[in-house]
Amino acid sequence: SSKKSTAVIQQPHPLEHSWTFWFDNPHAKSKQAIWGSSMHSIHTFATVEDFWGLYNNIHHPSKLAVGADFYCFKHKIEPKWEDPVCANGGKWTVIFPKGKSDTCWLYTLLAMIGEQFDHGDEICGAVVNVRTKQEKIALWTKNASNEAAQLSIGKQWKELLDYNETIGFIFHEDAKRDRSAKNRYTT
Amino acid sequence: HNEDGKANVDKKYSRDFLLKFSEQYTDLPQGFEIDADIKVLMNGNIHVSHLVDRDSD
Repeated sequence: SSKKSTAVIQQPHPLEHSWTFWFDNPHAKSKQAIWGSSMHSIHTFATVEDFWGLYNNIHHPSKLAVGADFYCFKHKIEPKWEDPVCANGGKWTVIFPKGKSDTCWLYTLLAMIGEQFDHGDEICGAVVNVRTKQEKIALWTKNASNEAAQLSIGKQWKELLDYNETIGFIFHEDAKRDRSAKNRYTT
Repeated sequence: HNEDGKANVDKKYSRDFLLKFSEQYTDLPQGFEIDADIKVLMNGNIHVSHLVDRDSD
């Protein structure tokens, strides 16, 4: 080829951490599969450019099937209570009416990959659960007992999302024992 | 660690900065594999320039 390229090759923007998208397929789940067995990692990315390449080709929460769980976790942290990094952790949760979580899901992803949290080291990842009547976004953190760090993350997250309702933090340890585990912290 | 005891992080990007790239990168990253389970997740307008953009000689 004699065509000369004039395009400038842009340097990719590396992220502080690598992140992995995971997906739990509602169709696989309906076959009474063991929890977690239908969940698999989709792709790991480490640059701003690859993030957008994925995000722009993947359904946003409002277009996902009811029952779907979509995750973005730091590379090598599995989005499960049993993961050694998550085991002593917990989660903050925000709830949206059906079809209304897309913007906040994107803002949550951007805040995580752009390292906008003062206690970013505490963050494991985020998940959006698409259900019949609502969509829930949860932010998973590492050391549930570190109250100051969790409260800082919860407050900053609400500000980033411009979310005005009270949100609660549940310890995974409590959630394992009791499906209706109570909030340990609120903000 | 800085004076607050927080880890220093170099690669911080604000939301506005990241959003500037949103429309520039629409191709799936290299090495992305679409299997049957993942298909339901894709928005149907799949861009894979590194697969279709090859020389056609």
